[in-house]
Amino acid sequence: MRRSVVALARRALVNALRKPQFLAPLVIFPSLFLAINVGGLGATRELEGFPAVDGFLDYQLAAAILQSLLLGGVSAGIAVALDIEGGFFDRLVASPTPRVAIVLGRVLAASVIAAIQVVYFLVLGLIFGASIKGGALGVLCVLAIGVVAGTGFGAIGVLIALRARSASTVQGIFPLVFVVLFISSAFFPLELLSAPADVIARYNPLSFIADGMRQPIAFSNEALPVLEGLLTATAIAATAIGLSILALRGRLRDA
Amino acid sequence: MLVTLLRPTGGHARVAGFDVAAQPAQVRRRIGVALQEAALDPLMTGSELIELQATLHAIAPRSVRSRGAELIERVGLTAAAARRVGTYSGGMRRRLDLAMALIHEPEVLFLDEPTTGLDPTSRLTLWAEVRRLRDEGTTVFLTTQYLEEADQLADRLGIIADGRIVAEGTPASLKAEVGRPHLDLVLAKGSDLQGARELVTRFGDHRPVTEGCHLSIALEHGAADIAPILRALDDAGFAVAELELKQPTLDDVFLQKTGEHLEGADDHGAQAERMPLPEAQAETV
Amino acid sequence: MKAGLRTVGALMRRGLNEILRVPGGAVPGVLAPTIFMLGLAAVFGKAASLEGYGGVSFLAFILPVGMLQGAGFTGAATGVNLARDIERGWFDRMLLAPAPRPLLLAGVVASASLRALLPASFLLIVALAFGVDWPGLLGLSLAAVLVMGLAAAMACYATLVALRFRTQQAAPLMQIGSFVAVLFTTAYAPRELLAGWLRAIADVNPVTHVLEGVRQGFVGDVTWAATWPALVSVAGLVLLFGALAVRGMRRQGI
Repeated sequence: MRRSVVALARRALVNALRKPQFLAPLVIFPSLFLAINVGGLGATRELEGFPAVDGFLDYQLAAAILQSLLLGGVSAGIAVALDIEGGFFDRLVASPTPRVAIVLGRVLAASVIAAIQVVYFLVLGLIFGASIKGGALGVLCVLAIGVVAGTGFGAIGVLIALRARSASTVQGIFPLVFVVLFISSAFFPLELLSAPADVIARYNPLSFIADGMRQPIAFSNEALPVLEGLLTATAIAATAIGLSILALRGRLRDA
Repeated sequence: MLVTLLRPTGGHARVAGFDVAAQPAQVRRRIGVALQEAALDPLMTGSELIELQATLHAIAPRSVRSRGAELIERVGLTAAAARRVGTYSGGMRRRLDLAMALIHEPEVLFLDEPTTGLDPTSRLTLWAEVRRLRDEGTTVFLTTQYLEEADQLADRLGIIADGRIVAEGTPASLKAEVGRPHLDLVLAKGSDLQGARELVTRFGDHRPVTEGCHLSIALEHGAADIAPILRALDDAGFAVAELELKQPTLDDVFLQKTGEHLEGADDHGAQAERMPLPEAQAETV
Repeated sequence: MKAGLRTVGALMRRGLNEILRVPGGAVPGVLAPTIFMLGLAAVFGKAASLEGYGGVSFLAFILPVGMLQGAGFTGAATGVNLARDIERGWFDRMLLAPAPRPLLLAGVVASASLRALLPASFLLIVALAFGVDWPGLLGLSLAAVLVMGLAAAMACYATLVALRFRTQQAAPLMQIGSFVAVLFTTAYAPRELLAGWLRAIADVNPVTHVLEGVRQGFVGDVTWAATWPALVSVAGLVLLFGALAVRGMRRQGI
């Protein structure tokens, strides 16, 4: 079972990393967006209610990571949908591969990609002058939350792919990702959001995840926000993986 | 290169009287091309496509509609003309492709593997259309992998292998060059095959056969040899169950000229193993 | 001459099929800029209380950005469609026609210009519904012209990419080009509030002028001083990328 999961994960990774049109939205787009935000809206630090930070980049880094992780989740979903459309999925189902491994393989690949994404943005941030207040422990916290969250988003992508009819349906989820991201405190402090984001963001799990990652980067290694972020991410990951496996079973039953 | 879609690296070619590299615009005005992919826009209807083609070829606006309808009728698509091309079958798309290639009455028509993947009826319809175009005076330049198609349609043909022309001529002359007709006989069960063989040796060379009571004789003088052979066998008391006169085909020509190379196989070794002449083949075609 | 116009018209009409005949074809190009516009306004809305913004709402400030993003996206989509046509063999058919290559380009670019008005109009309606002031007819006409112009320039750029790579996989390159052009400007903040490096880029980016030209009616009065740089910039972009695209088209085949 373990070998199947690893083998499938490796295949998913190789497939993903070989396609430029896969990497571009995942990494380049959030990087550009980060640059624009920092360059254009840095002056908002002057606003009353904005917490004290060394630089706007420090504040925005977590948002960029989160955005990248979410897009990674959608990409994982599209990849699975393409596998289904292309027949590879059927080939797997007809083989002795344990069914659960089909989901877990892709989810494991999502974890690895998530780790790469987190490291990329942390390094990018460091290059452009950010600093991680929490030091090495802080980096580990960010990594932990990021990888768990990325795993969860990957699982959500798989879930959607298993329930959807075609790859283009899954691709249509992209705009929704941005909607959910905008109505959170990822980019801007909760107190300074405008309607309707201000109300919804309070309950948006992405807010907790973003705040959890931002804490060690921009402020300090305070336990509460980090734990809240980690717990939220874990809850999402567990639920999503569970639902994906159920969806897989459901799909195979109907087939 | 001949249809001006690819720039040649060397050499010259003239199509419809104009140099392909130096005067491409004039060439394009006189040629029609039906592409192998049947490259059509699935969102447009048949009529819209052919009228677009007419507009692009600067056909006068008042004639666009009538000319389009005329060609659609010629290829038998009138009923489907108002439907989107995305709903057409493969055969229908080929026909529309052909109609579009003819919109400006070209002098030379290029058809690239036009019947690949078509059902037999559509293929025959297209053959009839090609013959009709030829009779109307259009030069048709057709590429195909179906030797039967080349045999049926071509006034002149050329065979290309490894990027070079290895044979050129009329189908009849090529076939004559390569082999003679042969007579395949099946004798009644229990016949003395050896005896029969000795008997017919004086009429022509034996061709190797694989099955029991079969004989295959290469005829020196064509069909005229049949009667004497049968008379000889009959006089000697042999009963003939079946007979068939087989002409050399373009397959024979092709195999001989190209040495039966398979794409992707080892090319260097194959040269030394060239196929023997068809007369010596074990299996008739 | 007339035959040329007819050719352009026919190709333009074909280009409109993408939104007219494909169910939901218009949605991505309209949805993305709208979500961005509303989302950013909901998140960063309070930024407009900073002095440099001149008292307008953040939504009014970034509406022009959305319109130009829509134009850029439409231009990029034109290139993606061309790449698809090349992959499919339709483009070869176009090359075989005696129509001059520049006309083929003109048809495709004209349809992009026209299609760009769809997201722009939708964004305008949404913004008006959320309380942005009516820009006045002059401001609106200017915005329309600039949106169409930028869409044309982006379509030419995307055509270049399509002709060079001949595959739809080059789509991200087209989209990123459009993204960078429109956003590395005074998109989210006035010039004075931009970080040093971004201000330097925005100062040399011709699209900044185009953006300011579109923005005029929504943040104040339309003045000639802000209009002529916009018109010159957009004309320059169209000429530059148009010339390059024509050259690219002429190089196809023989």
